[in-house]
Amino acid sequence: MTGATYASVLGLAASVVLLAAVATLWRRSLHAIVRALAAQGVALAGVAAVLGLHHHDPGLLVVALLVLGAKAVVIPLLLTRVVHVDPTSRETQPLVNVPASLVAAGALTFLAFAASRAVTALVPTTAGRLIPIGLAAMLVGFFALVTRRKAVSQIVGVLLVDNGVALVAFLATAGVPLLVELGASLDVLLAVIVLQVLAIQLRSRLGSFDLDQLTELHD
Amino acid sequence: MLVLVLVVPVACAVVCGIAPWRRALGWLGTASASAVLVLGVALAASVVHGPAVTGMAGILRADALSAFMVVVIGVIAVLATWQGVRYLDGEIAAGRCTPRHASLYAVLVQAFLATMLLAVLAANLGVLWVAVEATTIVTTFLVGHRRTRTSLEASWKYIVICSVGIALAFLGTVLVYLAALHVGGQGPNPLDWTALVRESHQLDPGVMRLAFALLVLGYGTKVGLAPMHSWLPDAHSQAPAPVSALMSGVLLTVAFYAILRFKVIADGALGPPFARTMLVIVGLLSLLVAASLLLTQRDYKRMLAYHSVEHMGLIALGAAAGTPLAIAAVLLHVLGHGLAKGVLFLASGEVLLTEGTSEIERVPALLQRRPLLGGIFGFGLIALLGFPPFSLFVSELNMLRAEFQVGLGWAAAVSLVCMAVIFAAVMSHGRHLLLGRDQGDRRLPTVALVAVPLIGGLVGCAFIGISAWPLQPLLHAAAGIVAP
Amino acid sequence: MSASSLAGAAAAGGVQVVALAFGAPMLLGVMRKVRCRIEGRVGPPVLQPLRDIRKLFRKERIRPDQATWIFPLAPVLLVATVIVAGAIAPLVTTRPALANGSDLFVIVYLLLTGSAVLALAGLDAGTAFGGMGSSRAVTIGALAEPALLVTILALSFGAHTSNLPAIVHATVVDPGTLATPQRLFALGALVVVIVAESGRLPVDNPATHLELTMVHEAMVLEYAGPDLALVTAGEAMRLALLLGILVNLVVPWGIGATDGAGGIALGLLALSGKVLVAGSALALFEVFTAKVRLFRLPELLAGAFVLAVLGVVSGLVVR
Repeated sequence: MTGATYASVLGLAASVVLLAAVATLWRRSLHAIVRALAAQGVALAGVAAVLGLHHHDPGLLVVALLVLGAKAVVIPLLLTRVVHVDPTSRETQPLVNVPASLVAAGALTFLAFAASRAVTALVPTTAGRLIPIGLAAMLVGFFALVTRRKAVSQIVGVLLVDNGVALVAFLATAGVPLLVELGASLDVLLAVIVLQVLAIQLRSRLGSFDLDQLTELHD
Repeated sequence: MLVLVLVVPVACAVVCGIAPWRRALGWLGTASASAVLVLGVALAASVVHGPAVTGMAGILRADALSAFMVVVIGVIAVLATWQGVRYLDGEIAAGRCTPRHASLYAVLVQAFLATMLLAVLAANLGVLWVAVEATTIVTTFLVGHRRTRTSLEASWKYIVICSVGIALAFLGTVLVYLAALHVGGQGPNPLDWTALVRESHQLDPGVMRLAFALLVLGYGTKVGLAPMHSWLPDAHSQAPAPVSALMSGVLLTVAFYAILRFKVIADGALGPPFARTMLVIVGLLSLLVAASLLLTQRDYKRMLAYHSVEHMGLIALGAAAGTPLAIAAVLLHVLGHGLAKGVLFLASGEVLLTEGTSEIERVPALLQRRPLLGGIFGFGLIALLGFPPFSLFVSELNMLRAEFQVGLGWAAAVSLVCMAVIFAAVMSHGRHLLLGRDQGDRRLPTVALVAVPLIGGLVGCAFIGISAWPLQPLLHAAAGIVAP
Repeated sequence: MSASSLAGAAAAGGVQVVALAFGAPMLLGVMRKVRCRIEGRVGPPVLQPLRDIRKLFRKERIRPDQATWIFPLAPVLLVATVIVAGAIAPLVTTRPALANGSDLFVIVYLLLTGSAVLALAGLDAGTAFGGMGSSRAVTIGALAEPALLVTILALSFGAHTSNLPAIVHATVVDPGTLATPQRLFALGALVVVIVAESGRLPVDNPATHLELTMVHEAMVLEYAGPDLALVTAGEAMRLALLLGILVNLVVPWGIGATDGAGGIALGLLALSGKVLVAGSALALFEVFTAKVRLFRLPELLAGAFVLAVLGVVSGLVVR
């Protein structure tokens, strides 16, 4: 892959990851939010694949396939099942309204750039310069987790944080050692299954996914 | 031998999963925990003066610090699994739990032990992370085991918050890996802890700063340090009592063990001040949060959970001091707190089982109605508040001494104020709970099955408070690893 | 600048203005036709908007009694600003008139001047509808403006200048700049902003006369005769200009790079084709979109703003 093409495609894929994270703050329909998560999974797999092709590392290509399978197919499928339990639900009243959330996302992006200057200095490659984008995606996911009310949106927030961290991992190190990456992916999948099981159990107890109804435990 | 430590609980879990539920399986769990304890003691004996033991092709490694943690896990696991039999009896008798659920409980508790042991025995920081994430997953199901509305809410909050914490910790680990890669001259295992400590002074400071901050925030979520503590009161109060004992007594400190391992690396790369500042901040914040919220607690299990936040704050402050004395005191505190908190949670589980409510107002005059149980509860509270002869007195005193020695006297003073406030709060709640005169004559005997492990735990706590033998060499060796 | 290039630039500018003046109503006609055909109707002929404008010029000029001098000034100023912007924008050639001054900021603010004056005129008429339409239009403009400014910043990364002909020229010379994330995000944001500024669905329905949904229509409700003709023509030219700039940023090939008549003719042909395709695509999109509720517009435009910010961010990072 030539240098310029590699830089453009990698940059594009990383930017789509961040864009998908912002899209979960933008859209209100839960289906659209899950679709944004799936798009992010595809983009993340794309980043891994591009890195693998550039460094001629077949391990990374395997990881890209795993990421595609887990984060772009299986997890959105599980989440769609959760959404179908209550198909008409929408994120109608987030804690921070949509325009303010979007502006906050822009601010968080700049914060990520400021905070990761030491890291980009350490990795002056093309991939290293994109690390702040991963950090920004993580921060946006954290913001989504904190300000959204629906259970599905909060699960998506957790997954966004995880995808952001995975993007940073791919870009910074061209893949953490395979064993740990496998373990990490497996753990995340298990965690999502747990979250989904809990969400369905919650639904059967409460009748809806509005976590505002879960306020018995507080001080 | 290291592999054996892991194999025992895993095998027990498999057996509990396959065989149909029988009461004897609960005792099998206790047997496995006792085996772990024995193996831990043997391990400690071998590493306290000798070199570290490795196993499983370098993935596992036990030095004095790990061995000490294995002993801690073993001790509290014995207590918890012993009481677990009683818990399951009660649940099955009340019809809230089918035999299948009981098997699930047993399997999950053993898996919980196995993952915690993996975490403390890991030589590779990535494996450590995987193990801590695994504990989160396993304990989520355990917290929600009772399947009531509140326990489901608690487990939901638990997994959401802890997953985020784990993700942050993963990012921190990745950044450390990145810094290690750039030092060059790597073996095939850049995340190996001993290798990282060896070259810690070469690691890039900017990256390590960001990494350590993320790690403290990430693993600190699992420790229950403020401001990431909000899952703790809910999860620890809603979980079954033996699980609460295990989580409060051991899991929090296993996560703190992870922070300690990274602190060694950070101190090498950045010098002590950075880690000290971070730990002081989160420690003081935890103390303040715990002090302010303990005053208004109405539920005794939640009160105990907030008390754990306080003790984790104290441990963080002690680790911030960083001298060998401080670290030895911190480790002693880990053991003492685990014992005392474990005993208290188990006793409260017994109270919940027989009284049916966990509100302080509705369980008065425990000393009059259930003298043995009330006595255990009372002594447990006294132990937790740091009275002699219990070991928490010694450990807290030494931590404060160390903090004054390194110039953290102001932090120590703040923590003393908070401890005083907490003392008052716990005393007032304890007074409601224990003293008073009950109109009816609802005396109930306390079963020996329950009393024996609890009294044993308290006696142990007092014993190590009076004389740290035979732990002294182990504590010194472990402290030497963290604060060379 | 040599005399021939001056002449060439002037000729190019003149050609662009004439093309806009006559082509814009035809563009409107084509868009309406496409929409009607999709909806299963025959629809008015393509030249109908031209005929409407010609008819309006012959009608009686009516002005409200309480209107001031702004009222007749606004249509004239609107058309004037669009003509100037049309002359200096790189539509048929990358060397239009006053190329050095053909800055994105200049073009954008020329167009915004026209909108601002029209909003004032809506207020000037003194009716409730006028005031309501003006306030809504100004709200949309205020929300779109930050997005527009940041989009300009993102677009200027590639050519290191905000001079629009230079940006288009840089894209013609090196097509790789199109695939960069900053260009794609900026273009995405630009599409949303263009839809907002020219008053098309999903921001504003140009065919509605219902009080609840009118934005632009409400502003110009009081105009009649030649004034209305000028307003209609101005709006059509504005849409054509914005679409022309957009297509030349996305697919600039065919644009004339020389001053010769051949280059200009080719550019004109290419521009017409591209703008017609873009207009038809927009009309098709409008068939399948519903109007966004007014209080949801800040979300849409904030999304465009963040897209533009992402474009700037990726521009800083990806080189």
